[in-house]
Amino acid sequence: MEGEVGYTQKLLMVTLRKRDQALTVPSGKNLEKLLREAGILPDTVLVVRDGKIVPLDYRPQDGEEFELIDVISGG
Amino acid sequence: MRCTFCEKDAVLRLRHANLRLCPEHLVSRVEKEAEKAVREFRMFVPEEKILVAVSGGKDSLGLWQILTKLGYRADGLYLDLGISGYSQRSREYAEAFARGRSLRLFVVRAEDEVGAGLDEITEVLRGSPCSHCGTIKRYLMNRVAWEGGYAALATGHNLDDEAATLLGNTLRWDLPYLARQYPVLPEGRKLVRKVKPLVYLSEREMVAYCLIEGIRYIYEECPHSRGARSLFLKAILNRLEDESPSTKITFLKSFLRVHTIFPKAPEEELRDCPSCGMPSGAEGLCRFCRIKERMRERAPA
Repeated sequence: MEGEVGYTQKLLMVTLRKRDQALTVPSGKNLEKLLREAGILPDTVLVVRDGKIVPLDYRPQDGEEFELIDVISGG
Repeated sequence: MRCTFCEKDAVLRLRHANLRLCPEHLVSRVEKEAEKAVREFRMFVPEEKILVAVSGGKDSLGLWQILTKLGYRADGLYLDLGISGYSQRSREYAEAFARGRSLRLFVVRAEDEVGAGLDEITEVLRGSPCSHCGTIKRYLMNRVAWEGGYAALATGHNLDDEAATLLGNTLRWDLPYLARQYPVLPEGRKLVRKVKPLVYLSEREMVAYCLIEGIRYIYEECPHSRGARSLFLKAILNRLEDESPSTKITFLKSFLRVHTIFPKAPEEELRDCPSCGMPSGAEGLCRFCRIKERMRERAPA
């Protein structure tokens, strides 16, 4: 049983891919919170899955994968 | 999260505008904001022919799509600057966009115009590649637009670009630059009007617009942009925006409201370059022709 004393708590993970990097973070929170915990300002990326934008209030399920598209460009 | 304007699910929350938007309303907002800027700053009218400077990136291709959808007569110009690998890849995106929509795209190569690409130019002339790139781009964009009889040259500068430029100019209190920073630069003799219709749109909105509209753009950055100061200024502004949404738009709009207080520099006396005939602020050859000359001098006989 999840989280019960005496059992190993199952960690539910979500993968966020940004350019060449892959960040794996525990699920259970919405995307905005997961991004902040990963040190990413939510407005500097778009979260995308299958080419579609995923809103930041979405709460990912275990094993889901998302692509992070940097919105900042230029030089 | 529901769209502010309809019953559909929102995909994007714009805190600075206090909006939550579904894909359809995001597209509609982006196009309306661009049109608003075009009218507010009298950038151009539907009867005029516009040349859009396209780099293959999200902003310029998004801008071309917006202007076309709004019914403006907009052709594209891609400058192949000869940056190893990057130029070829970005050009492919610009060409694919034009081909897929049956739009007219001019492709001009630095190699043909200067005798060398940017990599080689930087190797010979030294200095910053971005400085040579800026000289070549400004010159060729203006010349192609002027020779083609275009009323205006439109670039994809967005809210984040303009706010970062403004921050940089303000930190130096660079009055001539502050006086010149405006969404429209009027035309002059042999100088085409320059316009920035995306001035009210954030980079985030432009990426979302491209995704929804199915616009494929080059995601990688120019290799010379690594460590650029503008990226550092953008990062600072994004921190401020996160703490206090609408910082960027307020910063820019407030500046534009008081823009007239910045003294306009006396009109620079422009002469015709003795080589190409285009306007030049310097005695003798214009900056573009000087680069060309130096590249010619080093060429093996």
